[in-house]
Amino acid sequence: MTDTRSMSLPTMSRSSMFRLARTDLAITLLLIAVAIALPFIVDSRYILGQIVLALFYATIASQWNLLFGFSGIFSLAQMAIFAFGGYATAMICFYFGWNVWAALVPGALGAVLFSLVVGLACLRLTGVYVALLTLAIAQAMYLLIVTDTECFVMVGSVCRQFTGGAVGFARFGDLGTRALLKTHWLVGNYAIISVLFAITMLFTYVIVKSPIGLAFRALKDNPGYAVARGVNRFQAQLLVFGISAFFTGLAGGFYAAHFQAIGPGVLSMSQLMFIIAIVVVGGVGTFWGPLVGTVVLVLADELMRESGEFRTLGLGLIIALSVVLMPKGLVGRFGDLVGWLTRRRAEPGDSKPTDSRIVQSPPPTGK
Amino acid sequence: MTDVLMAILVAGFTSGALYALATVGLSLVWGSMGMLNMAHAAMLTLGGYVAFTVITSLGLPIALGFAGAILAGAAAGAILYFAIVRNLLKNDKSTFEANVMIATVGVGIALENAILLTYGGQPLKQPVSIAGVLRIGPLTLPWQNLLIIAVVVVMMVAVSLALGRTRMGRAIRATAQNRDAAQLMGVAVNRVYLQVLMLSGALAGICGVMVSSMTQLSPPLGNDPMLKAFIMCVVAGLGNLPGAVAAALGLALLESFVQYALGARWGFPSLLFVVIAVLIWRPSGLFGRAEIRRM
Repeated sequence: MTDTRSMSLPTMSRSSMFRLARTDLAITLLLIAVAIALPFIVDSRYILGQIVLALFYATIASQWNLLFGFSGIFSLAQMAIFAFGGYATAMICFYFGWNVWAALVPGALGAVLFSLVVGLACLRLTGVYVALLTLAIAQAMYLLIVTDTECFVMVGSVCRQFTGGAVGFARFGDLGTRALLKTHWLVGNYAIISVLFAITMLFTYVIVKSPIGLAFRALKDNPGYAVARGVNRFQAQLLVFGISAFFTGLAGGFYAAHFQAIGPGVLSMSQLMFIIAIVVVGGVGTFWGPLVGTVVLVLADELMRESGEFRTLGLGLIIALSVVLMPKGLVGRFGDLVGWLTRRRAEPGDSKPTDSRIVQSPPPTGK
Repeated sequence: MTDVLMAILVAGFTSGALYALATVGLSLVWGSMGMLNMAHAAMLTLGGYVAFTVITSLGLPIALGFAGAILAGAAAGAILYFAIVRNLLKNDKSTFEANVMIATVGVGIALENAILLTYGGQPLKQPVSIAGVLRIGPLTLPWQNLLIIAVVVVMMVAVSLALGRTRMGRAIRATAQNRDAAQLMGVAVNRVYLQVLMLSGALAGICGVMVSSMTQLSPPLGNDPMLKAFIMCVVAGLGNLPGAVAAALGLALLESFVQYALGARWGFPSLLFVVIAVLIWRPSGLFGRAEIRRM
């Protein structure tokens, strides 16, 4: 737990350099408090495990949001990059016997390299062309892994494929929390993944608020104008593709290490759709949207688990309905509500709208 | 040697015909509305299952099975328009492209899952199939493949007549060329959108029957042809119908050659390489015109 605290403190001091809005600061502080309190409140192993999984979703979703919401790149290769990071980490450990911690960053860099290759092929295009091509690449990767049957090494009397085939990799090492914390290893992993999420969010915040982040946004809002003002579209989009791939791949490595397994299942369409649903429900292009979406959708998913087979059906309907009913997601709708209250309040008196906004904005992710 | 070559060509032309049908449905919607219908795969599957229900469960003749698939596809297109597209069109125009794609992804998942819940996951046999082969000298052609190619050719001719000769087709082409101008000339653009979605749904329904008659009925049936139809659309340039047909046939032939030469698992990746190479050379597709954006 001390990990979370010591790693999250620089979150605030660094971000304040970038004129962190007071609301964001308040939300951050509250989230840190919640994150520290959670393992003391939750004593169910299952729930804590689901929270760790939700943190992975939130990390991947925040990076997809950086790509799509802030930079306008409709990439459907997000889970492929995640899987690449996970596979690279697992394969380094499996074939070279490295410690997992040593393999994480090389795995993430591998994912960056992969994303740059994908980006070189796709980012000359725009809009739906990017979406279709990245989807096709992710699907080709899945097919090639699943249909891999050639023997690469023999483990005992069992033949192993280079990519692990339909089974994937398992037992290549873990984060070391089991040896260190014994029965409380899950809390240790929770702390590690929380820190990963916090660092990812911090970097995302810095990128979004920095000049290069403005360039990304400009390319999204009006590509023609941005290019005319001297922004190199191809370079800038390749850059944001690589940045988001680093954190996505890193999350993939941690995912493989946490579950001590990685298989082609992460490349399935439903996983990708869950990430997209998170961002859409939370709010595309809003900083806190992916987190809100994760909380809402993981809760909804757990509730629908009771009704078993209707889960996927419900998920599909949630995606479709939330695009139709709230194009800016829950965060956007919340913003509308705040704006409406502000206007209502401003009518009788002449209080400054900014004040009431801060008063009126309890963090949407409070639970 | 000629036997092998013949088998490859027959397989290539058959799958090319199927891909062409799927591609035309997608391309039509994209060309006239700027909408990428990710639920197209599920509409394909729906057509296949409706035909199965009509023929096997209700015991009606095969022709009614086709009619059922067409009607179900058109109905799905209409529902898609009224539930999703009409509402999204009210929002900001610039967000339509991405929003409609995400929304149709959701619809696709929901529809595929509804089919899974209704019919179960086990594969079913599509009754629309003809056994036997046609022998012309040394050549052997399975009737099934000939049927598929014939149906696809009939559908293509019907679509091109509908687009080229009818009032509706003129309205669709006018909207595709310039939505605002068409609207100013008195074309009811919203009705055109509804018609296009229903037409595309009907094509998807027929295509689903044909695809399932080659393999088997299963809920993820439409996904593979749709993924390939996507990249064929991209190669041809989204929205270009004759180009889409040409790209579908060419790539399907290439696929069956690669599958024969290197094994089935390299079929799709090799298509992808070709597509990427084409797009680096011509970013808006082989037959697509570079889009001119005004600010």
